[in-house]
Amino acid sequence: MRMTRREMIKLSAAAFAAGALNIPFANPAEAQGDEVVVDKWIKGACRFCGTGCGVYIGVRGGKVVGVRGNPEALTNFGFLCVKGFKGFLSMYHPDRLKYPMVRQADGKFKRVSWDQALDLVAKKFKELQSKHGKDSVAYYGSGQCMTEESYTFNKLWKGGFRSNMVDGNPRLCMASAVGGYMTTFGTDEPAGSYSDIEKAKTFFVVGSNMSECHPIIFRRIARMKLEAPDKINVIVCEPRYTSTSRIADVWLPADPGTDLAVFHCMAREIIKNGWIDNFFVNNLCRFTTGQQVVDFEAYKKFLEQFTPETVSKLTRVPVANIVEAARLFATQGPTMSLWTMGLNQRTRGVWANNLIHNLHLITGNICKDGADSFSLTGQPNACGGVRETGSLCHLLPGTRLITNEAARTQVEKAWGIPAKSIDPKPGFHTMQMFASLGAENDTTKPLKGMLITTTNPGQSLPNAHKYFKGMEDAFLVVIDIFPTRTTQFADVLLPAAFIYEKGGVYGCSERRSQLTSKCVEPPGEAKPDLWIGAQLAKRMGFEKLIPWNGDDPAKNYQMAWDDYRMCVKDSEHTIYGMTYDRLKKLEAGLQWPCPTPDHPGTAKRYVRGQDPIMDMPHIEKVPPQAMIYFYADKQHEGKANVFLRPYKGPEEPPDKDYPFFLTTGRVIEQWHSGTMTMRVPEIARSQPNAYVEIHPNDAKQYKINNGDMVKIVSRRGFMVLPARVVKMSLPGILFIPWFDQAWDRMVNRVTIDAVDEGSKQPEFKICAVKIERVGDPRDVAEMTIISNVNDPFPIKV
Amino acid sequence: MIITGSALFIEPGSEKLVLEALDRFPEVTFQARSDSGSELVVNLEAEDHQALDSLCARLAEAIPQIVDITHLYVHFGDEIEEHTNSNKP
Repeated sequence: MRMTRREMIKLSAAAFAAGALNIPFANPAEAQGDEVVVDKWIKGACRFCGTGCGVYIGVRGGKVVGVRGNPEALTNFGFLCVKGFKGFLSMYHPDRLKYPMVRQADGKFKRVSWDQALDLVAKKFKELQSKHGKDSVAYYGSGQCMTEESYTFNKLWKGGFRSNMVDGNPRLCMASAVGGYMTTFGTDEPAGSYSDIEKAKTFFVVGSNMSECHPIIFRRIARMKLEAPDKINVIVCEPRYTSTSRIADVWLPADPGTDLAVFHCMAREIIKNGWIDNFFVNNLCRFTTGQQVVDFEAYKKFLEQFTPETVSKLTRVPVANIVEAARLFATQGPTMSLWTMGLNQRTRGVWANNLIHNLHLITGNICKDGADSFSLTGQPNACGGVRETGSLCHLLPGTRLITNEAARTQVEKAWGIPAKSIDPKPGFHTMQMFASLGAENDTTKPLKGMLITTTNPGQSLPNAHKYFKGMEDAFLVVIDIFPTRTTQFADVLLPAAFIYEKGGVYGCSERRSQLTSKCVEPPGEAKPDLWIGAQLAKRMGFEKLIPWNGDDPAKNYQMAWDDYRMCVKDSEHTIYGMTYDRLKKLEAGLQWPCPTPDHPGTAKRYVRGQDPIMDMPHIEKVPPQAMIYFYADKQHEGKANVFLRPYKGPEEPPDKDYPFFLTTGRVIEQWHSGTMTMRVPEIARSQPNAYVEIHPNDAKQYKINNGDMVKIVSRRGFMVLPARVVKMSLPGILFIPWFDQAWDRMVNRVTIDAVDEGSKQPEFKICAVKIERVGDPRDVAEMTIISNVNDPFPIKV
Repeated sequence: MIITGSALFIEPGSEKLVLEALDRFPEVTFQARSDSGSELVVNLEAEDHQALDSLCARLAEAIPQIVDITHLYVHFGDEIEEHTNSNKP
């Protein structure tokens, strides 16, 4: 029997869905091979969020026509969220930037050739560096660039220009997680993997609305909870009663910025009840204030101040909930903690990360199946592309510190540049970078030029007003696929290729690298970032350092990847064994450490028999008898630090003038500043504008009804947007998603730019505001996008 | 025309009731079930995404035993053609 094309599509779709659900499906859809839906399916990774979902991209007639989840991918097992399925549609939006453009004297952009644009950028950067020093031009990258791209720009700046003025948007989302891992374990990224989820019995979800921000990971947890509700425990610490909180056995609704006290209180309960792991406490934990090593008794004494009653008063979390959370965490393991921005985007983000690690260390809930202290990454390649390639102002490839002389020597050798040519002094972190950006004649601003790629600081920086003028006045080069709030400040616009128009490697939260092959051609004259970086390098005299500037993108990306593999070969982040050939063949990619081309990758670090670094003395020396050993310990004792961090609340708690907490975040449909997802009609329709969530009690007090227009005012600015009166947030706490680029609803006009002392990550999650009802409901479902590159910025800066 | 491969997550024990109710929706084709009977694999067919959204809303309203509808595969080739053809020069 010959099937119609429609029947074939239906069966294929059903077979795929059944495969993803592990449901037997007997229809012989695949046997009817004489009808095809697409010309080919090409393996790749999703370009939204840090989960690292494996996908297949369907190509027909040179166009991407569909995306399906890869059932063999160990990250998502075939599942995808709405962004994964539909986000690619933005590739074909008519607003795509297709040609290089240079802003003219009248303020309008004019199309130019690539040679003209790149010659201009190279000439201007050289002029600025010659006049104002090597550090006068900065690179601001992204956790959405491919690994090869971040590596290339980092190498050009640090190895070519000898400047560490390199940072990226992971500073805004993951820096505190990096700081937490580095200070506790001596090295970045988790010990465990997603595969711990199916082996865990208790989940501690902190500062994360996983159901919307990492829905595929959430599905894995929710599925376990659904299948064995009495055996699987979920604790959620989060001020909003989100759909994540709905599956929780215990909800810890701590006021924003107060959860440090909750974590210490849980530790106190654990010790008081004798639920500690003595082996870990005696052999693998070092108790420290940060300045001074102390003993376990001192830690116990320190925790005494955090009684459940005291902490309950401070945080609003009920006493019984804290006590029960401690019991479940310590006695119903293995326990896995997962967190994201609620923990990181804080002035005490590193400390909050440390205190989660503390709980795992004292209970021995790490380095065992199902037990891990696991930071979920926000962006698809913040881990692989930026943290691991060291594309931040204080790092080198392999997440090695730039202040470490031995690390600099290793990288100088790998890059073939003279000894001592890498500057030992870190450059500026993101907020300092943008605060230092300005006009050539402004003597207070040391940064005169900047190259920005794949990110939108014109919308995403906190307290945004403060940074607009610097972007306007400096020589700004922006690589992107659409006009954005940032391109409105650009002097030169370079049109970029979308991930499926170029290919490359992404590395997700669990140290897993996956290769996407190029699927289709970019529109117009848009080019891969890698080509742009290499062409710039060539024009500035660094062709020898970055020789991958040919016309074959696949070859360029592979050359850059191989250069990077060699550079980190002898580090404990080694990816040397991840050749392009392997990544092309393997359905699920590979996890580092992966030291040799026959190594299967590493799901669990610090455990002998699982982590190859345990037996590689030229990288780390580990005693032969040690089964678990934190080898990156700076004291060379194989221990992790349990910190006695003092309690400190947020930078700007509510007061009588600004009585509300404001917290910000994502929604499932929209990605970051909405420049892509707002161009997918069905996504845009489902979340067409930002809004403020307000508790009914507060709404009543301020005479606000659902849909009424509300003015939100902070010490830094104001915005106007519709109210959603819901019980999700506690009284006194407002929530606003940050995707909306409409000027009235850009939440970063009111957020605070105070940063964590260690990680320099801003406190996006907490500031104080006041509210006022300003009008009746109004239709603001505008689905705002900036369509025209010549649209001016909404205000004069 | 959009065709999906979707999962209907339904309340335990409600499979027969749900399948009977689905018969009233010609845009829905039942394909497979999980061993537990709490997950059904179906095709949904709709003219465009708005119609698909509307169909899901109608299903959820008409069959309260449906806990969640998740699209695991979406064929939207024709819609892509429309996007492609509408590109500005």
